[in-house]
Order: sequence, then structure tokens, then C-alpha cells
Amino acid sequence: MTDLSVSVSASGHMAHQPLPEAPAKVTVRNLNFYYGEHHALKNINLTLGANRVTAFIGPSGCGKSTLLRVFNRMYDLYPGQRVTGQLMLDQTNVLDPKLDLNLLRARVGMVFQKPTPFPMTIYENIAFGIRLYEKISKSEMDGRVEKALRGGALWNEVKDKLNASGLSLSGGQQQRLCIARTVAVRPEVILFDEPCSALDPISTAKVEELIQELSENYTIAIVTHNMQQAARVSDKTAFMYLGELIEFDDTSKIFTSPGDRRTQDYITGRFG
Amino acid sequence: MAEMAVQSDVVDDAGPYDRAKALSAFKLGDLTFYWITRISAISVLLILGGIILSLIVGAFPAIKEYGLAFLWTQRWAPSADPPVLGALGPMYGTLVTSFIAMLIAIPVGLGIAIFLTELCPQWLRRPIGMAVELLAGIPSIIYGMWGFFVLGPFLANTFQPFMIRIFDGVPVLGAIFAGPPSYLSLFNAALILAIMVLPFITSISVDVFKTVPPVLKEAAYGVGCTTWEVVRSVVIPYTRVGIIGGVMLALGRALGETMAVTFIIGNSFRISSSIFAPGTTISAAIASEFAESDGLHQSGLILLGLLLFVLTFFVLAGARLMLLRLEQKAGK
Repeated sequence: MTDLSVSVSASGHMAHQPLPEAPAKVTVRNLNFYYGEHHALKNINLTLGANRVTAFIGPSGCGKSTLLRVFNRMYDLYPGQRVTGQLMLDQTNVLDPKLDLNLLRARVGMVFQKPTPFPMTIYENIAFGIRLYEKISKSEMDGRVEKALRGGALWNEVKDKLNASGLSLSGGQQQRLCIARTVAVRPEVILFDEPCSALDPISTAKVEELIQELSENYTIAIVTHNMQQAARVSDKTAFMYLGELIEFDDTSKIFTSPGDRRTQDYITGRFG
Repeated sequence: MAEMAVQSDVVDDAGPYDRAKALSAFKLGDLTFYWITRISAISVLLILGGIILSLIVGAFPAIKEYGLAFLWTQRWAPSADPPVLGALGPMYGTLVTSFIAMLIAIPVGLGIAIFLTELCPQWLRRPIGMAVELLAGIPSIIYGMWGFFVLGPFLANTFQPFMIRIFDGVPVLGAIFAGPPSYLSLFNAALILAIMVLPFITSISVDVFKTVPPVLKEAAYGVGCTTWEVVRSVVIPYTRVGIIGGVMLALGRALGETMAVTFIIGNSFRISSSIFAPGTTISAAIASEFAESDGLHQSGLILLGLLLFVLTFFVLAGARLMLLRLEQKAGK
């Protein structure tokens, strides 16, 4: 308990002082999610503040990844998964069946648990996503690729081998490539689904640093099993348990004086 | 603690001698296993070598008589005195029919595979998948009969006249699609071949498409790709090696397919610019003439067989080379 609160104050947030309210970027109202018969998310209500990092914690199977996959309608790829309720991205109704999913996913980028570089060169991995939406010249593209790779804190490591396969990079570099690729499309929201669970501590530190930098320009949601990570990188934390949102508050508050017994038990390692 | 004590007791009871004996029994098993697998592997080389050797021996009289000219002689007159034999016609027919067959089968086969894995509603998957597998199970003689009695007349009455009329007078294409329509032609044979090799391409592609990690596809959808873009930029590049393997298997089958082709190709050794004209392939020529051949004629047919062997080898080697190039280009 004590070292948790230490890491919270080390992350620079002032403990116990509520964060100023950020304008809402994503609003979730009475959201329910079903895998066939299984009721996976129960009546979720929360708001992702613009340019804030929101962490989702909770034991495995509590529905945090499921919730993330609702934000960009990734569940749509699979038959038998359905959702009820309301989910707004600014003024857009995300759950509208007529919504253009490709445009939605350009606005809501996603970084996955395992690095997922596409089977092409490093340069193409970035340029590929840009080309889906914009027709730009070679020199402009070079600039955008460099900017994205710098944004992913990867440029210095790969600038001499842009034509090497994306798969030739180390795991941590691949993950930063995927972040750069996501940033390159200029999304508004970035979803991280346990982005560091396959990475070593040094790569993890780099990615965490990157997430903090990205929050200046993007609204970020991150699912993590690592409590310290949630404490380090996030402004707000949502604790989920068995498909329900138990507690949602400032990260400093959640980790120092949680309002719910279950939250406290979880963050102190009594279950989960 | 108690468990550990029990474990050490067991080891003590077994004693060092017993253990060595037990291990040596395994050793014998290992050795037997090693030799069985090794002999199996070596037998492949022996059989292959034996086939090549017997082909060369059988073809030797013809090689001595015609030399390299065999490769570019078009005339095939086994009953002339002395017989004049040339492989150009059958070689041309083999390559052209296989080429056209692949031209048709690759896009259709891949298309079916993409539909089955990425787009098809669940309930339709099994029926289509099973139909494709059944297609592979039809014996080639059935394809031959069907081609002869149904497909050939149908093409000659509808598709061929249509193409001939459209391309009449067009410089190069006019010669390729020249009349008269025929029940027996290179094109008909190629079409039958395409249907026959389709299941190979489809079922192998379906299998390798299924190996694409779902999260990789999700990542592509996640940057906003449409299904087509996901398939083209992620699924196909990721499975390239497997797809080319399937295509090679299909090509190997198309090059060597005998029975169905013999039925519907017309067995003419004359090379015509038109794909609607009758022709022959190496295997069709051997199948239709071998029974009543002797002497130099038979040796010539065996030489044709040897050529098919070499041709197939070169085509497959070429495909390997292409694969290597592709991988270099992809930056591996």
C-alpha cells in the first residue's frame, strides 16, 4: 500500500487534489455487452476526458478489454457479439449501425497486447495507414513517416533501415512501431490493450513515457494488469469487476483512498 | 518435505544399475527408430534416381538418333521411314494449357479461399468447403468424359464463336482466338485443368489464411482498412509462401495431368497460334501412343517423358527463385 502511494506521488500528480474536469471526449451511457448469451458488460457509465489518460484495471475476465473493443467497434468483426446502450465520440454515435467503421477506426486507433507489425517494411508499415486516407507525394510521405516514427520514439533506432522488414525489429521496437503507425493516421483517441505485457522493463518504460507524451495531443484509454503502470501513466482509473464498473475516479484517489472495499482489496493484491 | 523423502526413496530403490539398463533399452528403440526414418527418407532419393535412370536408358536410342534437334522439331511422324520425331508440339501444348489453367485457377481459387475465410456467413462455409473438397475427389477420367461430352460441345457452340467474332481482325488477339470452333482444343483442356487444380489452390489457401493471427487482422482493421485492404496488404503477404506452395502443387498437377487432357485436347502435334485449335501435351501424347509403339517411336515417347520431368523441375525451380526474390523485396 505504501509503495503504491509513493509511486503515485512520484508520477507528478498531487495526491488527493481532484483533477480539473476535462471536456468529455467519449461518453458511455448504460452500456451492456453480450458474447452470445454471456452478459459481459453490465450497465457501464463513464466519460473519457479529452487529453487525459484513463486506465482500466481489474482481474482477468472483468470486461476491460471488451469495453476497449467497443470504443472502436472491433467486436463488429465477430458474429454473435452485440451491444446495447449509448456510446458517443464527441457528437458521433459510435453504435450507429450505419456508421462508417473505417472512418471510426481512423479516429479511434488501437495498440494491441502483442506487437502486430504488418508483413512489410518499416516505412510501409507507417505509410500504409496514411495512404488509406490521403493521397500525398513521396516527399510529403517521407516527412509524415519520419514524424510518426519520432512520435513513436523509434526514429533514431530505425532511420538507417527503413526498408528492413517490420518483423526484424525487437519486441519493444515493434510495439513502438505499432504506436507510431497508430499515431500516423492522426486519430483522436488511442486505445492501448495491455501494450506492455509482452515487453521487457526497459521497453515498458519507453512505452509508458511515450503514452504520457501522447496524452498532450490524444485522448488515451489503457487496459493494464500492472497496477504500478496504471498509477504511473494515468490521470483517471476505472476499476472493473465481473463486468461492472465498480469505481471510477482520479488515479491518485483510487490508489490512496479507494471508495469501494473491492477496489481496495484488488489494488492491495488481496484478490485478482 | 514428506514428498521429497518419498521421491528420493524411489530413486534409491531403482539403483544405478537398473537405471542404466532401462536407458539402454530405450537406446535400442531410438536406434531402430533412427534407421527406419532414415531408410524411408533415403528410399525417396533411390526411387527418384531409379526413375530418372530408367527414363534415360529407355530414351537413349532416341537421344542418339535426334539429339538436341528433338527439342525444336515440330514434325511427329512415327510411321515414316526412318521415323521423324520432335517434341516441340507436345511441349508447347503442355506449357500453354498449364499457363491458361493457372491464369484461370489462381484468381478463382484465391477468391473462393478469401470468401470462405473472410466474408462467408458461418452457415454457408461448410457446404462450399465440402463442395471444393469433393471437386478434388472426382477421378480425372470423369473430368475427361464430362469435358468430351458436355463442356467441349458447349464451348464450341457458345463461348468460342463469341470470342472468335469479337477478336476477328485484332492484330495479336485475332490469331490467338482464331476459328473454327472445335470440341477438342487447347483451351478446353486448359479449362478442365483449371477446374481440376482449383481445389488444391483453394484448400491450401484456406488453411494458410487461417494461420493469420486474428490480432494482426484486427490491427489492420484498427487503422481503418476495409476487408479488401486487409486481405491484400496483410493476409496475402503474410501467407505468401503458403499460397505459392499451393499454386506450385497445382501447377505440378496441371503439367502432368494425363487422362482428362487426352480426352479433350485432340492429340494434334501441329502447333497452331489459336488456343481454340486442337493440340497435345506430353502426357497426352504418351498416353495415346505408348500402347502401340515400339523401337525408336517408343524410345521417343520415353524421351518425351524425361522432358516432362525436366520441364516440371525447371518450372518448380523457377517458382522457388521467384519466391526468394519476393522475400528479398519484402525486406526479410
